[in-house]
Amino acid sequence: MLDPSDIITRALNRTERLNASYADTRVVRIVEETLSTKNGVVEGMSRSESLGFGVRVLKNGGWGYPASAELTPAEVDRVCALACKIAVASGRLKERAVRLAPTLRVIGTYSTPVEKDPFLIPWEDRLELLVMLNEETARTKGVTTATAHLGFRRENSHFGSSEGSRIEQTIVHSGAGISATAMGSSRREMGQRTYPSSQDGQYEARGYELIEHLRLAENAGRVGEEAVALLRAKEAPAGELTIILDAPQVSLQVHESIGHPLELDRVFGAEANFSGTSFATVDQLNKLRYTSEIVNVQADATFPGGLGTFGFDDEGVPAQRIDLIREGILVGYLSSRETASLIGRKSSGAMRADGWQNIPLIRMTNTNLLPGNKSTEELIAGTDEGLFLSGTTSWSIDDRRENFEFGCEVGWMIHKGKLGEMVKNPTYSGSTVAFWNSCDAIAQAKDWRIWGTPNSGKGQPGQTARVGQGASPARFRNVKVGSS
Amino acid sequence: MLDKKKATSILEKALSFSKAEQTEVLLREQDFSLTRFAENVIHQNLSYHDHTVMIRVVQNKRTGIATVNMLDEGSLESAVQSAELMASLQQPDESFVSLPRPLPIPRLSGRFVSATARSSPEYRGERIREVVRLCQKGQAKASGAFQTQSEVVAVGNSLGVRAYFPSTDAQFSVTVKGPAGQSGWAQGVSGDVKKVDINALATRALQKALAGKDPVRLEAGKYTVILEEAAVAHLLLFLGFLGFGAKTLAEGRSFMKDKIGQKIASDQITIVDDALDPRTEGMPFDYEGVPKRRVPLIEQGIARGVVYDSYYANKMKTASTGHALPADNKFGPYPKNLIFSGGKSSYDDLIGSTERGILVTHLWYVNFANPMKTMVTGTTRDGTFLIERGKVTRAVKDMRFSQSILEALSNVEMMTKELKLCPQYGARLLVPTMKVHDFEFVEGEE
Repeated sequence: MLDPSDIITRALNRTERLNASYADTRVVRIVEETLSTKNGVVEGMSRSESLGFGVRVLKNGGWGYPASAELTPAEVDRVCALACKIAVASGRLKERAVRLAPTLRVIGTYSTPVEKDPFLIPWEDRLELLVMLNEETARTKGVTTATAHLGFRRENSHFGSSEGSRIEQTIVHSGAGISATAMGSSRREMGQRTYPSSQDGQYEARGYELIEHLRLAENAGRVGEEAVALLRAKEAPAGELTIILDAPQVSLQVHESIGHPLELDRVFGAEANFSGTSFATVDQLNKLRYTSEIVNVQADATFPGGLGTFGFDDEGVPAQRIDLIREGILVGYLSSRETASLIGRKSSGAMRADGWQNIPLIRMTNTNLLPGNKSTEELIAGTDEGLFLSGTTSWSIDDRRENFEFGCEVGWMIHKGKLGEMVKNPTYSGSTVAFWNSCDAIAQAKDWRIWGTPNSGKGQPGQTARVGQGASPARFRNVKVGSS
Repeated sequence: MLDKKKATSILEKALSFSKAEQTEVLLREQDFSLTRFAENVIHQNLSYHDHTVMIRVVQNKRTGIATVNMLDEGSLESAVQSAELMASLQQPDESFVSLPRPLPIPRLSGRFVSATARSSPEYRGERIREVVRLCQKGQAKASGAFQTQSEVVAVGNSLGVRAYFPSTDAQFSVTVKGPAGQSGWAQGVSGDVKKVDINALATRALQKALAGKDPVRLEAGKYTVILEEAAVAHLLLFLGFLGFGAKTLAEGRSFMKDKIGQKIASDQITIVDDALDPRTEGMPFDYEGVPKRRVPLIEQGIARGVVYDSYYANKMKTASTGHALPADNKFGPYPKNLIFSGGKSSYDDLIGSTERGILVTHLWYVNFANPMKTMVTGTTRDGTFLIERGKVTRAVKDMRFSQSILEALSNVEMMTKELKLCPQYGARLLVPTMKVHDFEFVEGEE
């Protein structure tokens, strides 16, 4: 078996001899460990490891990307030949020459800063934690199911390009979450609460120290209590109301209605057959009032601890921070070297592949809604009649990223600036630009954190990206609400 | 691809490293290729070869799972040791009884088609160029994906199970955008790449795109809908997640709970899972090596049963139906080869019988809105049309729906006799086009 450096050298030499105009090679090893418990019993406990390499080639104006789990010289040669063959086949149906926006030639390394290597934490300790969390969550009579899970991932990658870049990175992700479910006596009603967020818990680019900081045990009892309380709550009202979304819910909104529509490949139609297109076409750059002017959104792959944080993307472009929305105006996109060149910009460093098997696609990094200047309490106090929404049960948005409907775990009515009664099955819906233009308050930095979405889907074949969204609670006026 | 002898030797080697009471080895090998195109240009073109070995060990009712994609002895042994370590750390799961014992596996032939396995980037590229030429004549742009795959699945366990199955699969989907921006879509699947009629699919998508000019906006409300096969398949997939598996039943989440033997849908509705029916192009055993059985799920509207893997079969004191997913899944047993019995009508009969309704090509971003009520939300996409007095009259802007799936199945008026095989996230669903009344749309596109 060849080592990564030898694979890269061999592949780049080979593709050069085969007259590729550009080539890059990635060798990736991924290790994942997950543990989940339900009502004190292990529901899943597994470790997986995957190693392979891929060669991306541009030849005759077309792209080719084969990959393999066999790390032998003969296989590298076979894959290189196949890469050129695929690229030539692609090049027979092209519209224009592929131009790559320039990037620095980089010789570098990057590693996620980790205080405690999660892979060195004994399984027994992890299991003890989850069983304890189940017990705490299930303390409240009426909780039928208490779950807890942990997940750890380490990706070690080596990258080399025909432009001379050589990069090695080690990215570590850790995450955990808990949930409580209470079933009604008729079994046709269910109350469910999760913590820290409904997106499989909270994940960050950190070590086991994240798990210790999440305050899971302190929140476990509350999660159980609220799940049971939901069974007694009345249905959420229908109509038009001011809503305040808690930070995880804002994070999901940012992901679905800002991050995805601003993937430039989607804008240019690359995802038309599956993930869809975008309403935020390039003719609207620097013109579209995407949001109210208090809203500022950045894509930031340098932000410490974000799931979308790295040193270099999968084209070897250094991680960076760019503005996507500035004072409400669309000013930027997530891009690759190829798509950036089409709008006369440099790449925003957003090309990321799910494993070695897959071709890099433009994905979110950390899409951060910058904090505002009011506390969450002030947002509530400034709301005469409204609904405070927390947790996610359901989300759906159309293929142009405009019309959406989100369902939440729980709501609390707001009357005259104070939180009131709990309501169940709340939903809210709207159209992206109108919704974001109704945002009139964003909570301050004290209430802000970076949230992780470990399961963002896109592409054919389907790829999963781990991305971050920075968010604090935010208020939106005159939003259509209902009950599922 | 690994032949049976080589695959079996890998299973045996991995099993030989285990000291546990019971051990299972699942080996999967894939050769996958996909040529993707957007707006008449091939923009992504990829291929990968991978193999994974999943080891499950059981010791004193404690289970550990490890997966590796390296086939050398050192990696296999290390994976076994990881699984044994994890198993040793747990409390016993008293519901666990045993891994399955060997049972005769039905022979299914014709599921590995050489033409599919040999499909080249040039072949896929040429077929796509034909599609593009067709669309260019209509001043339209085509986007889509053409994928081919060869796969080997082999399962063995320490109780003597040995199963091996090679198969191929080809899928083509296309979204055509017409000159005014409206779109149409079509999809086909077969184990034999030559049986995926790409030109017919592209023609259909193009016709829908060209017919989609000047769409009107409809108000929210309940409508009669004609759901084409892909839309029916999407809803059926979600119904499967909500309640056709024994895990959802055991946990009280399934709509089948306390309903077995009772009417839950129109008496026109019969849904079975049958991987051995050649039309579903299934695998004859599940990921535990248990032979697949035909399972009636709903018969003439009456809830009949769910599918089981060995764990839930033992827990609920019945027999496995051969519907286990790979051991590290959280879903539990799941039906991957659903057959929806059709009706007696033709597609034109459904349209012709509709005074006013909406014709839906396929659905997008369907998600659970209220699982206990089988309520889902999502939008229509790529070919939504108004039917008036028995004719398709004009295009409609896409709409969001919020609908209970079981309620929709209770409101079925007619179905086509003809069924179509639709792929949905690894499952295969053989379904009709369906006419349903009182399907609820909550919002139309602006």
